[in-house]
Amino acid sequence: MEVLKEKVEEEEAAEREEAAERAERGDRTEKVMRPPEVRREETILTQEMLRDLEKKLSEIEIPISEELPIFTNDTIDISKLPLSYKTNTLKEEHLLQVADNFSRHYSHLCPDRVPLFLHPLNECEVPKFVSTTIRPTLMPYPDLYNWDSCAQFVSDFLTMVPLPDPLKPPRYLYSSTTVLKYQKGNCFDYSTLLCSMLIGSGYDAYCVIGYGSQDLCHMDLTREVCPLTLKPKESVKKEEKAPPKKYAIKPPRDLTSRFEQEQEIKRQEKIKAEEEKRLREEEERLLEAEKAKPDALLGLRVHCWVLVLSGKREVPESFFIDPLTARSYSTQDDHFLGIESLWNHKNYWVNMQDCWNCCKDLIFDLGDPVRWEYMLLGTDKPHLSLTEEDDTEMNNDDDVENLDKEDEDKSFDMPPSWVEQIEISPEAFETRCPNGKKVIQYKKAKLEKWAPYLNSNGLVSCLTTYEDFECTKILEIKEWYQNREDMLELRHINKSTGLNIDYFKPGHPQALRVHSYKSMQPEMDRVMEFYETARVDGLLKREETPKTMTEYYQGRSDFLSYRHVTFGPRVKNLPLNSAESNPRPMEKITERFSRNLTKPADEDVAERVFLIAEERIQLRYHCRDDHITANKREFLRRTEVDSKGNKIIMTPDMCISFEVEPMEHTKKLLYQYEAMMHLKREEKLSRHQAWESELEVLEILKLREEEEEAHTLTISIYDTKRNKKSKEYREAMERVMHEEHLRQVETQLDYLAPFLAQLPPGEKLTRWQAVRIKDECLSDFKQRLIDKANLIQARFEKETQELQKKQQWYQENQVTLTPEDEDLYLSYCSQAMFRIRILEQRLSRHKELAPLKYLALEEKLYKDPRLVEFLKVFV
Amino acid sequence: MNHLHDSMEPRVMDDDMLKLAVGEQGPREEAGQLAKQEGILFKDVLSLRLDFQNILRIDNLWQFENLRKLQLDNNIIERIEGLENLIHLVWLDLSFNNIEAIEGLDTLVNLEDLSLFNNRISKIDSLDALVKLQVLSLGNNQISNMMNIIYLRQFKCLRTLSLSGNPMAEAEDYKMFICAYLPDLVYLDFRRIDDHMKELAKMKHQYSIDELKHREDLLQVQLEDKQARREELEAHKSAFIEHLNGSFLFDSMCAEDVEGSKLSHLPGVSELLEAYKDKFVIICLNIFEYGLKQQEKRKTELDTLNECIHEAIQENQEQGKQKIAKFEEKHLLNLSAIREESELPNIEKKIRECSEDITELSNTLMMLEMQLVEQLEETINMFERNIIDLVGLLIENVQSLMAQCRDLENHYHEKLLEISINTLEKIAKGELEEDLPDDVRALFVDKDTIVNAVGASHDIHLLKIDNREDELVTRINSWCTHLVDKIHNDEIMRNRKRVKEISQYIDHIQSELDNLECGDIID
Repeated sequence: MEVLKEKVEEEEAAEREEAAERAERGDRTEKVMRPPEVRREETILTQEMLRDLEKKLSEIEIPISEELPIFTNDTIDISKLPLSYKTNTLKEEHLLQVADNFSRHYSHLCPDRVPLFLHPLNECEVPKFVSTTIRPTLMPYPDLYNWDSCAQFVSDFLTMVPLPDPLKPPRYLYSSTTVLKYQKGNCFDYSTLLCSMLIGSGYDAYCVIGYGSQDLCHMDLTREVCPLTLKPKESVKKEEKAPPKKYAIKPPRDLTSRFEQEQEIKRQEKIKAEEEKRLREEEERLLEAEKAKPDALLGLRVHCWVLVLSGKREVPESFFIDPLTARSYSTQDDHFLGIESLWNHKNYWVNMQDCWNCCKDLIFDLGDPVRWEYMLLGTDKPHLSLTEEDDTEMNNDDDVENLDKEDEDKSFDMPPSWVEQIEISPEAFETRCPNGKKVIQYKKAKLEKWAPYLNSNGLVSCLTTYEDFECTKILEIKEWYQNREDMLELRHINKSTGLNIDYFKPGHPQALRVHSYKSMQPEMDRVMEFYETARVDGLLKREETPKTMTEYYQGRSDFLSYRHVTFGPRVKNLPLNSAESNPRPMEKITERFSRNLTKPADEDVAERVFLIAEERIQLRYHCRDDHITANKREFLRRTEVDSKGNKIIMTPDMCISFEVEPMEHTKKLLYQYEAMMHLKREEKLSRHQAWESELEVLEILKLREEEEEAHTLTISIYDTKRNKKSKEYREAMERVMHEEHLRQVETQLDYLAPFLAQLPPGEKLTRWQAVRIKDECLSDFKQRLIDKANLIQARFEKETQELQKKQQWYQENQVTLTPEDEDLYLSYCSQAMFRIRILEQRLSRHKELAPLKYLALEEKLYKDPRLVEFLKVFV
Repeated sequence: MNHLHDSMEPRVMDDDMLKLAVGEQGPREEAGQLAKQEGILFKDVLSLRLDFQNILRIDNLWQFENLRKLQLDNNIIERIEGLENLIHLVWLDLSFNNIEAIEGLDTLVNLEDLSLFNNRISKIDSLDALVKLQVLSLGNNQISNMMNIIYLRQFKCLRTLSLSGNPMAEAEDYKMFICAYLPDLVYLDFRRIDDHMKELAKMKHQYSIDELKHREDLLQVQLEDKQARREELEAHKSAFIEHLNGSFLFDSMCAEDVEGSKLSHLPGVSELLEAYKDKFVIICLNIFEYGLKQQEKRKTELDTLNECIHEAIQENQEQGKQKIAKFEEKHLLNLSAIREESELPNIEKKIRECSEDITELSNTLMMLEMQLVEQLEETINMFERNIIDLVGLLIENVQSLMAQCRDLENHYHEKLLEISINTLEKIAKGELEEDLPDDVRALFVDKDTIVNAVGASHDIHLLKIDNREDELVTRINSWCTHLVDKIHNDEIMRNRKRVKEISQYIDHIQSELDNLECGDIID
């Protein structure tokens, strides 16, 4: 500030004129001051060179981009905007003066810098200070509470319009309400809206005007890797090795040659290094290919973005947000080439630091007046080491004036924002993108987004990954779905392998979780995973190949954890065969069981193999805790006949067993026989279960096909707009309520009741009686109307008479009356006149309405259900 | 079987009878043929029915170790006996006999269902061991006293009870009484007890039940209290410092000290004794706390050792299992290859290869085991050294504390002697003001007597202290030797078991291969 001080006096005189010229400001700002690095390149041009340049320039054809959505004043309807948009308050006027003053000082002191972006025009052509355009608002949606979702929303919600001149800040800066209404804007509109929302939710956020790279300014992400394609880095968990315990055993002595080991390691490392070198070269080559052509306007492209300073909302480190893409960058990022100034809703700061090294060396300590020149004093930023500088740098001469100015500034604070409250309707919030659709092109990837319920199959976003930069060869497609009745969440299609993977949310009728397949034909390679807790059989996963089926279970009461079935070739000679009636013969079933703790380990079967073709059954038992070998048993199921022709029931060689700790009772033939019988039953059961599994696969495939065709969407019962059923119900209810109300009003007054009561009860009306009742009712009503008129008339007359009397009395005694009596009389007169007038009005209205009422009653009587059939004839 | 019933001749439960019953009730059809062929061992029988056999005396059942269900109804049994070995018995039917008292059921802890229907029992008792009892049938007996029901309150699992046909069942309050006193009962006399009935009964007998409950609760609390104290003492004992957390040692010292108690009547002695006691108890407490701390240390030491040994063994077993699994995979392939091979020289070659594999496996496993043995031995020796050090440290410290006790005792002894001699002098001069009891005065005859008396008291005290110290030292030493021996023994046992296991497995595989060989050659 103090540097600016010197020229204050001279400038002061010009201030008034400046205010008048303010409208032309926009034009003046067009005289762009180039940032230092470009200016240095300028050389003296000769005539020849100029001609040459002209020629060259004429050759260059600017490819006119097909119908850029140009957002101009003409399209905006300003008639409905509130007053604060169209005029400036006194305080705002004052602020603009202050700003102009500041700007003059600035341009005087820093003549080689571009003019400040202080008060662009708004949609009503009124200059508004940038800080007042920020309207801090906390959105009612919990989704918008954090900066990332907030930025994502802004970037999704608006369509980007490029700046009219990429090298200059725009002349106009519209209010956020207008921007939201038309859903398009340039980077300044984006930043203002995002900044408003971030400050509203408690962040220390600023709009920054500066220079960005071409990609940044054009919202070009084609050189960026899509964040969705990045695999989350698996955090390598360092397994904390417990310190060796006191009595941990010592490892056996290593007797291998250390020299040989070292040689081996060296050799390996060499190979590895070569490999790495090759990889690195490859990578470099790729990078080279990717790199964009150098940008001629590097460092000149004006951009506006958002800075979030650390401190508030537990932000650990300051960072930039590019509002166009909603990406966050570190403050050292290469895309940001320089900062002119920044502002929030309270103040405006000009960057006084050199940007020769982009933004890498900038220090965002806004309280430091050497680095950041502030416009208004008295903000909440701490003025670090201010007193020191006071002592060292300030001259005594300037002291007084300086104080003066500071006082002036101090007394002045930012006027409230002229912008209306920012509102986003729930519909707009849900639709998000303009028209509910948005496409973003990334490096080797394309991301499409849709609003929920926009696509009939529930597709909400689709990421296509390509093999090459030109995006011609599709590598894989990822489709995200929402609100599907079959709970499909994500479909992953890998074009190169032809593998499809469907992911489901919990709630599929078959508890499906993941289904990966190449074709929907049965008996092909496929893997199905299930939500095992939702299934009675605890099935976790089922893998199929053309010849085998493997199932994994969890949490079963029979401790089955694995079943592997090998199928043989189908027997062909059966007539009438279809897939169901001719299952493939099973050759081998392997089942594994987890440990059943209620049984001793050497009686608990760990694995049993039914070799169906060989008629053999192999059992392997669990291993006991203190053993390394396990029991084994093998049964030969062959039934043979002995020499006498008797069937051999059981012989010792039909069961070969190995027991770790031989037991007596298992040697018995009876035991073995019973075990074998049991196994035979189990085998039948297992075969049946395997067969059922096959059927289930067919069933699921059928169901999936049906679901894919139908692709119905679910609608939450709380979604009152989309839920047709509830809407209809609600409307019906409202209708019923309305009718009920009408009926009640009608039945409240029964004109006929007194006349009907005269008749003997319980008798049916005759036509004559009905006509008579009707006539009586009507005449009665007529009489009532006449009576009423008479009554009003009588009162009117009475009132008039009394007034006349009073007036007479007044005429007679006028002389003798005291002032009080006179007042009394006058007030009486006025009241009486009022009453008379009212009565008059009532009478006239009654006269008007009476015939109508009479007719209405007649009509009603004709329609009365009790009389209608008798009176029909007469109508 | 009717003829058996007709003849009233009692029969003896001999081997034939049991064999017949087992045979009749054994497996049928094909399995039956096998059973007949092999014979059934009594100890494999799970269920046995011996009804209508006119048995007078239960006998010869000791072989049926695994019996779960035994029916002895409709006999003429008079006493319950000979069932002591049937500890797995769950179901016991002794209905329709002539039993007069419940007895001989103390070992049948698993019994859930007991039927003593139609006997001559007059009192319910001797059932304390049957904690799992669920069904109890005591109908048609001679039970008349309603108070027998209260005995049944201790069976928490009892759900079904039948008592009809007893004299007590005729009392008008019978049902209500049972429902009130056994609230967990579900079936009484083969009928379900409805909730309404329960409610009524509860209301009716509210007061007496509350009182009973209160008594039971008190008893329970007392029991728990006792249990807790016993456990605490047990814990102290395992730390070898029981009764040191108070004046117990001091009190026991004084209790046996006749002379000392006499002398305490002397003026000034009681104060002296009081001071002595306070100091003594403090030292005892020091010992106590130190002992507990040391025990904690020993325990952590032992725990670490166990953990480490366990880990080492586990790891070794995993290795062994892996080796075996790998071998088996290969072996199976080899075997099937041999089976398919037809050329005799090839077969022989393959068999040779197989047996080489087996030998190799055996060697690997044995090497693993020997390696483990060496490692464990080293560890155990280290532990042994440490634990002996710890014990030595404890003994040393305790001894030094005990020495402090002895110093106190000596100090006390000197003081006491001084007072005694002073008193003696006073008595001799006739200056003593206080009256002394006669037996005390008798000590002050001359100097020798009084010095002897004081000396005797001192000796007793010292002896007590020495005894306590010795006890502590011997016990902790023996504990230490036992512990170390046990760890060594366990390790040796483990090693033998593993070696046996390995050799058995190798034998099995080898014999399998040999069999295959034979079979092939025969083919």
